[in-house]
Formats: sequence, C-alpha cells, structure tokens
Amino acid sequence: MTSTSPLENPRPFVFLAAFATGGLLTLMVHFNGELARYGNPLFSSWTAHGTGTIAALVFLGLLYRRGRMKPAVRAPAPIWAYLGGISGAATVMLTSTAVNSPLALAGTLALGLSGQAIFSLAADHWGLFGLAKRRLTMRNLGALALILAGSALIILEGRSPA
Amino acid sequence: MIIAILLACSAGVLIGISRQINGRLSLSTSPLIASFWNHIVGFVFLTCLGLVIGDLLPAGAGLVPWYDYLGGPIGVVFVAAGSWVIARIGAVNTALMMIGGQMVSGVVLDLALSVPTDLGPTALGVVLVLSGIALSQSKRKA
Repeated sequence: MTSTSPLENPRPFVFLAAFATGGLLTLMVHFNGELARYGNPLFSSWTAHGTGTIAALVFLGLLYRRGRMKPAVRAPAPIWAYLGGISGAATVMLTSTAVNSPLALAGTLALGLSGQAIFSLAADHWGLFGLAKRRLTMRNLGALALILAGSALIILEGRSPA
Repeated sequence: MIIAILLACSAGVLIGISRQINGRLSLSTSPLIASFWNHIVGFVFLTCLGLVIGDLLPAGAGLVPWYDYLGGPIGVVFVAAGSWVIARIGAVNTALMMIGGQMVSGVVLDLALSVPTDLGPTALGVVLVLSGIALSQSKRKA
C-alpha cells in the first residue's frame, strides 16, 4: 500500500473505500462466526489473528519484492501505537460475553455500533490517540442519527423470529 | 443486564480505540505495517489468554472447511483500509461509512444465505442508512 497525500485521494473515493471496507467486515464476521461455531469465540479470534499475521507477512513480502516499500523517513510512532491489537482482541471477549446475555446477538450488535459511533464523536472532537482534531458539524450528527436508526431497524426488527 | 449493556457498548468503544491507534501507527509506518502489528500483537495476547483459560484448540477445530479461515486475511485488508481511511476523513466519517457498508452488505449476505428476514423493516433500515450516507456526502454550503 503506497502512502499518498490526502489531496491525491478525492474525498468521495475515500468514502467509497470506507463503505466497501464495511462490506469486508461482513465477510469477516461471517467466516469468524463459522470458526466460532466449530470451536469457540476464543479459538475463532486466535485463529483469525494467526492467519492474519501470516497473510500480512505475505502481503508485505510481495510489496517488498516489487520495490514498493519506501524507507520510512517519518517520525517514529510511540510505543502504545503498536498495541492496537490488544484492544481489538479484547473486543472478542466482551462481545462473546454480551452475546450470551439476554441482549443476544442483535442487542450486542446494536449497542456495539452505538458505542463505536459515540466514541468516534469524542475521538474527532479531541483528536484522541494522536490523530487530527476535526470539528463536528450538524451534518455529521444528522448522518449519524440516520445511520444508527437504520442499523437499529435492520438489527432489531429485520430478523423474523424463526 | 446493566453489566451486559456496558460490555456491549464497551466492545464498540474498543473497536474505535483500536482503529484510532492503528491509524496513528500507520501515520508513522504504513497502513499494511500497522495491520501487521495489530494482528501479531493480538495473536500473542490471545495466545497468552488461551494458555491461562484453556480451550484454545477445541475438539471441532479439525472439521473447519478451509474457506472459513479466510476471515484472518480479510481482517488484514480491513484493518489496513481502516487505518488508511481514518487518517483521511476522520473517526466519525470512517465509523459512519463502515457501519453503513456493514449493514447494507449484511442484508445482502443474509438474503443470499436465505436467512429469514423481515423485509419491511429491513428495507426501511437500508433506506435510512443510505440517506445518512447521502447526507454526509451532499455538497457543503460553504
């Protein structure tokens, strides 16, 4: 993956990439859910992180061979920036506990999305964890309300009780 | 129940935190390198956890068809793309677009797999999600 300046990536393209990435998440949740069904949530997350590590090495090796890896000339990252994986891995423990409560899968998903959305507001407002601060607009809040309402409908009402 | 609600919300917050942290790492390295560290650190952490509480290799593990292992490699692309995107459009826009993409593609996957779906609320939900995305994309007044 090359690093280009934001100006070379028109915003609609970046938005489209983010939307498509949400689709990748659906596939990932599906496959990892299958792993959890054969084993358990810990096995699923552990396996996915293991195969992911191997895949990342393969991708990096391919880029390296094509000479696409530029030597880093940027300021080094703080040590904590390497620990994002712990937060991601801990997510699995929390969700697999919540799924087995009366919230079930639907409630867990809906609350998780809300938590994610509310955190993102704080993250942009204060520029948390070293990323740029961004001013929140009414448009942001309106879009957030529509997307969360739509997600709640799909998750909570869209599944016929079979 | 209160505890379960807090756990479920915290899970969402943790997803946001890891996206923020990986985004920061990608600024100093690259999105793919950030994704590599995310996976290997998570793997080491979960290995330690599994050694403590056990059950890392459950009995059914041998029966898993090969394609169900694709979640890991997809996750690498997912984390790299998230780190790339969040540095460009910020946390709110990233969360909005990813949630929208996840919801819409989830409905498509459910229909493809013939999961019983209540079409009315689902269709209305998709319309709301897409209008939220359209709103965030509409032309600025300024």
